[in-house]
Amino acid sequence: MHGRGVIHDIEVAATEEGKILGFRVKELADMGAYFQLLTPGIPELGGWVYMGPYDAQAYWYEFTGVMTTMTPTDAVRGAGRPEATYVLERAVDALARHVGKDPAEIRRISFAPSHADAKPSLMGLQIDSADYLPAFERALELTDYEQLRKEQAARRESGDVKQIGIGLSSYIEMSGLAPSNILGALRYAAGGWEAAQVRCQPSGKVTLFIGTSPHGQGHDTTWSQIAADELGVHPDDVEVLHGDTSITPLGMDTYGSRSISIGGAALHVALQKIKDKARTLAAHELEVSEDDLEFEDGAFRVHGAPDKVRTIPDLAVSAWTAHDLPEGYEPDLTATATWDPKNFTWPFGTHVCVAEVDTETGATELLRYVAVDDCGVVINPMIVDGQVHGGVAHGIAEALYEEVIYDEAGNLVTGTLTQYLVPSAAELPSFELDRTETPSPTNPLGVKGIGEAGTIAAPPAVVNAIVDAVSHLGVSDVGKPATPERVWRAIRDAKGGPR
Amino acid sequence: MIPAPFEYQRVESVDHAIQVLSDEPEAKILAGGHSLLPLMRVRLARPSLLVDISRIQDLKYVKDDGGQVAIGALTRHHDVANSEVLQELCPIVAYAAGEIGDPQVRHVGTIGGSVAHADPASDMPTVLLALGAEMVVRGPDGNVRNVPAGDFFRGLFEPDLATNEVLTEIRVPKTADRGWSYLKFHRRAQDWALVGVAALAQNGAGPAVALTNMADRPLRAAGVEEELTGGADPAAASQRAAEGTSPPTDAFASAEYRQELVKVLVRRALEEAQSR
Repeated sequence: MHGRGVIHDIEVAATEEGKILGFRVKELADMGAYFQLLTPGIPELGGWVYMGPYDAQAYWYEFTGVMTTMTPTDAVRGAGRPEATYVLERAVDALARHVGKDPAEIRRISFAPSHADAKPSLMGLQIDSADYLPAFERALELTDYEQLRKEQAARRESGDVKQIGIGLSSYIEMSGLAPSNILGALRYAAGGWEAAQVRCQPSGKVTLFIGTSPHGQGHDTTWSQIAADELGVHPDDVEVLHGDTSITPLGMDTYGSRSISIGGAALHVALQKIKDKARTLAAHELEVSEDDLEFEDGAFRVHGAPDKVRTIPDLAVSAWTAHDLPEGYEPDLTATATWDPKNFTWPFGTHVCVAEVDTETGATELLRYVAVDDCGVVINPMIVDGQVHGGVAHGIAEALYEEVIYDEAGNLVTGTLTQYLVPSAAELPSFELDRTETPSPTNPLGVKGIGEAGTIAAPPAVVNAIVDAVSHLGVSDVGKPATPERVWRAIRDAKGGPR
Repeated sequence: MIPAPFEYQRVESVDHAIQVLSDEPEAKILAGGHSLLPLMRVRLARPSLLVDISRIQDLKYVKDDGGQVAIGALTRHHDVANSEVLQELCPIVAYAAGEIGDPQVRHVGTIGGSVAHADPASDMPTVLLALGAEMVVRGPDGNVRNVPAGDFFRGLFEPDLATNEVLTEIRVPKTADRGWSYLKFHRRAQDWALVGVAALAQNGAGPAVALTNMADRPLRAAGVEEELTGGADPAAASQRAAEGTSPPTDAFASAEYRQELVKVLVRRALEEAQSR
C-alpha cells in the first residue's frame, strides 16, 4: 500500500493584481487494484481543503477514482490534504509568475480574514478559528525573505551554476478526525469519539485509562501533564494506561491528528468531573458550602480561612475509605468521560523552504527550512516540535525522494528500501520552527492537531523553491519527486534542448 | 530476503582459507559481508559455504612499502579513511574510503571485500583503476600474482580471482605530488554513486580519469585522458567523458542522464584535481 498517486487539473480565478477569487479542481485518483480501509475516502478528505487559507468566492471540486492494476492506495500521513495543498500552493506560485508579482504578495492580499469562531467555508465544513497573516509574516521574518530575494537576484545576475529559490507554502488542514455524524455521512464504519477514565488512588497517585493509544506520539507525557496541571499533582505521580481494552475504556485510534483534540478533550472533561466530585467532598469535610471553596494548585481552600484545606490526594483517601461521605455520595474518586467533537480542528501555518539547485546536474540542496505552525494551545512544546520535525522530513521525502516506480512490464522496481529512498538526517537541513497560537473553540483545551501539518506543508514548499530557483531559465514545473534527473530535464527542456 | 542454506567455516590463515576453498568450489569468502550478504539475501549469490577470513589478523594493515603503499585486504574502510599513511602518501584512497556507505558500513566493510566484489557502482575499484593499483592474489602451492587494476575488473561482479584464490593486499602508488579528486554523485549520503569520477592530475605520469557506475566495470575515460595529454582544458576534455560508456537505467536515473552528468562531473573533478 502507498499514498498519493493523483493527477490534478486546477484552475485559479484571480484579479489582475493576483487576488485569488476562486478555484476549480478536478482530480484523478489512483485507487489501485482494490480498496483498502479508506481508499476512496482519501480524495474526499482533500476536497475540504483545496481553497487553503484563501478568501475565495467560488469553489468546485470533483474527483474520479480510477481502479488500476497497481498497488492499492490508502491513508498516509496527511491523507488527501498533502495532495490538495501541493496542487493548490504550486498553482498559487504559478499565478504569481503569471501576474508578475512576488508569491508572498499575492498570498498576503488573498488570505481570508481572521476569526475566533467557527465560520462556514465554501468547501463544505466550518473552519473553527484562523488567523493566517501573523504566521505568514513571522515565517517571512524568520527567513529574512527580502534579503534572500536580493541574494537570489545577485546569483541570477552573475549566472552562478548554483541558483537559489524560495518556496512558500501556506496551508490549512482539518485535524481531529472526526465528528461521528460526519463519519456516518461518509459511511465510515466507526464513530469519532474518544474516552478517558481518571482514578485518584488512595496512595496519592493518579491513574489514567485512555481509549486512544500512541505509537510514538508521546501521549504518556502529554496526558500526565494535563492531569498534573488540573489536579495539582506531580506528573511523575500520574500513570497512563492504554492499549489494552480489558482495562481501558473503548476508544478509536491514533490517526488524523486527533488524539489531543478528542482524547485530550475527553480527559479534560473527566478531570472536571473529578474536581466537581472532590469539591463536594471537600465542602462536606470542611463544613462549608461549595461556593465558599476556591481551588488552586490541587487544593480546595475556604475563602478567608486558607488554613482550612483539602488536597486532591486527601480527598482520594476519604473517598476511598468512605467512612464519612455526604448523603448519596458514591465512594471512590474516579470519573469517566467521552468526547465526540462537534467539528474538526483546523491548524494552519506557513512554511518556507530555501533550496539551492545545481543547474548543471539538477541536484537540489535544501539550505533552510522555516516552519511557523498554529495548532492552537500547545500542551508540550517539545512534542509539538517533534511532530513538526517528523512531518516536515516526511514531506521533504515526498518532494525529493520517495517514489513508487513500475517498469514497462508492470514490475515494481522500488520494492525494497534500497530503491525506495527514505531520507536520513544527512539529507535534511536543521528545521527552524516557531508558532502562533490561535485557540480552537472546538474543544475545551483550545488545542488543534499537529501530527500531519509538516507532511501537508512541506512538499509544495520544497518544489516551489526548486521551480523558483530556475524559473528565470524558463522552468515552470518540475515533477515530484524532484529528482536530479527531473530537474535537469526541466532545465534542458526550458532551454529548448531535446525532449 | 532469506538466503539459501549455506555452511559456515572460520579460518585462521590465508593458507587455511585456500585449502578450504580448494575443497569446495561453490564456497565464497566472507570478510565484512557488506557486499556478499545483500546478494545472498536476494539469492543472486548462493554459496554452499562461507569461509570467514575476518579473524586473520595479518591482513589488517596500511604501510609505506618502498615505492608503494600496501593495504591489507581486511583493512576496514574506516581504517583506510583514517590512515595517516594514506592521507599523506595517497590521499585519494583515504578520501574515497570515507565516501563509502555510512559509518556503520565503513566500520565493518573491508577494502578487499569491496575490490573482490567488483561492483561497478562501488567507489574503491574506480579509484584503484585511476591509480593503476595492483592486487596481490595468493593461490594454492604458494603462488602469488600481482594483477594490475586494469586487468582485475573483468565485468559485473567478475574479478580476476579463481575460486581458490584470496586477494590479500592492494598496492597503490604514492601520489602525494599529484592533484586528485573523487566526486561521488548520489541521492542520499549512504547510497551508491549514480556516477562517480576519480581524477589524478598530470604530473610526470599522464593524467588519469576513471568512472564509477558507467559500465559493467569501472572504466578509464580514455577519450578524456587523450584530450588532456594533447593539452585540452577540463571543459574541452570532459566533452568526451561519455565515450565508450554503457551506464544502467534504473530506479534512480536513466542512462541518458548519467552520460550527460558524467561530463559535468569529469570537468569538475579535473578542475579540482588541477587546483590541489
